[in-house]
Amino acid sequence: MNSLRTRSIALLMTVLLLGLPVTVLADMVVVANPKSGVERLSVEDVINIFMGRYRELPGSIPALPVDLPASDPVRERFYQRLVGKDLAQINAYWARLVLSGRTMPPLRMEGAEEAIRYVATHRGAVAYLERPKADARVRIVLELP
Amino acid sequence: MSLYKTMSCGLGCNSSLPLAKFVFMLALAVNAAPAAATGVDADPLSFHAFGTLGIARTSNDQADFIRDRSQPNGSNGNPSARNDSIVGVQVNYRPDERFDVVVQGVSHYRYDGTFSPELTWAFLKVSPTPELALRFGRIGTEFFMLADSRMVGYSYLTVRPPVDFFGTLPFNYVDGVDGRYTRSTDWGLLSLSAYGGVLREKVPAGGGVWDLGYSRMSGVSLELQKGPWQGRASFSRLRFDNDGPMAPILSFMNTRDAAAIAAADALKTAGSEGVYRSIGVTYDDGNWQASAAWNSTHRSSALYEDSRSGYLLVGRHLGGFTPYAGYSWTHSTPKSLAPSLPDPYLGPLNAAIVGYMKNSHQDQYTLTLGGRWDFQRNMDIKAQVDLVRGTPDSYFLVQQPTSAWNGRSTVMSVALDFFF
Repeated sequence: MNSLRTRSIALLMTVLLLGLPVTVLADMVVVANPKSGVERLSVEDVINIFMGRYRELPGSIPALPVDLPASDPVRERFYQRLVGKDLAQINAYWARLVLSGRTMPPLRMEGAEEAIRYVATHRGAVAYLERPKADARVRIVLELP
Repeated sequence: MSLYKTMSCGLGCNSSLPLAKFVFMLALAVNAAPAAATGVDADPLSFHAFGTLGIARTSNDQADFIRDRSQPNGSNGNPSARNDSIVGVQVNYRPDERFDVVVQGVSHYRYDGTFSPELTWAFLKVSPTPELALRFGRIGTEFFMLADSRMVGYSYLTVRPPVDFFGTLPFNYVDGVDGRYTRSTDWGLLSLSAYGGVLREKVPAGGGVWDLGYSRMSGVSLELQKGPWQGRASFSRLRFDNDGPMAPILSFMNTRDAAAIAAADALKTAGSEGVYRSIGVTYDDGNWQASAAWNSTHRSSALYEDSRSGYLLVGRHLGGFTPYAGYSWTHSTPKSLAPSLPDPYLGPLNAAIVGYMKNSHQDQYTLTLGGRWDFQRNMDIKAQVDLVRGTPDSYFLVQQPTSAWNGRSTVMSVALDFFF
């Protein structure tokens, strides 16, 4: 009886541990072009760039943020971690800025691969990705907590 | 394209379209437009549409409840779709990051009692550097904090912007230029803006229409943003171009004695100034959303009273549902006309003028309770109760008050907002 419980707990732990590295590795990162000269961005910088407040990278390069598709779960998690808002709130935020004619939201990509290609070919481009997707074509400039 | 057709129909045949069909078509249109929601594609051209279908009903039929002074009528004890219903379309052309052409048309209930569409924005935006943005053409001015998105119900929590605070502002745009300089500082992001231009709008006034056209307006504002906080202070000045519906009365007075001429001089709006100051702060961390603002309006003409107003609003985000509560208020100081008009021919006119001067009196507060439900992507539904509590002489934020108006009304509202 006892050993069954122990084995069940061990099994449960194994499942959790097997699951855990995936969630840890799937952490979100913000990436920039390796030739941009940008080593690090602060959370405040990334908020300014993605929320359309101020789009400039260190070194006076105009920042070109890119977004994942509207209903991509990674997009939802990114904004949740960055500014604590869900997609409806992000939408309402952009309704105000777009329709008051102030600024436009980040360029919309079709997926992570297109986002990486865009960042790799545009000096000021900034994207967010799940960490395992970030390869040598881009430089990680922020790990989102 | 079918989406766009639906919207242009919404703009043109809004009043004749049955409600259910309208909502159904809207839902179809919103669902058919996944990509256009908030992003720009590589395509430099992007289309947006927004709107509100709103119904308001007041408990007091002794005056018309209005959203702002641009509306000649509103709910008067009966359900009315006039107060809050709006449809707008916008086209952005953005060949690259430095240039943006924005054209927007909006249909809402306006000064002449119609829903005739108006061109609200038509400007070229140039951003030579990320710090600087210049706009030329017909622009919206952020006259008070958030004033340039008053018509976009989807962008805020409540059914309508607080009437006590924004209700005295009947204009939405100027033909002119503005500039905005932003830089990153230790305190956060600091922006300095300035604008100048002429008004081109008309408002209902004194039972007629007052063409504010070519009244000159200019202003500056300072804004600080950090994390979930945003603070803003602004100062605007308006120089009225003409005397509007008062012109014939004033010219008559100018043919009378010295006292009448002095009174006409104090009452005239042509060349008179309005000075508007405001400060506001917002907080939004995704769970809590709060805003507070205060403004003061000074008018050099004796025809309009000077006023001070403010509001507080707090909302709590609970999944797709956001309940909110607000408190707003406005007060104004009566002006006297000295010397009064001794000419016996002017006796009745004198009474009429005193009556007109009293029409701009405001002394009321409003308690607001409501909820916003983001029931599907790009659409929300709101329900709201406003308890308007004013003195019987608080006239400026209603139309056609009868002698039985007691300044108190309960307004029940529902609204459906969309944006794509």
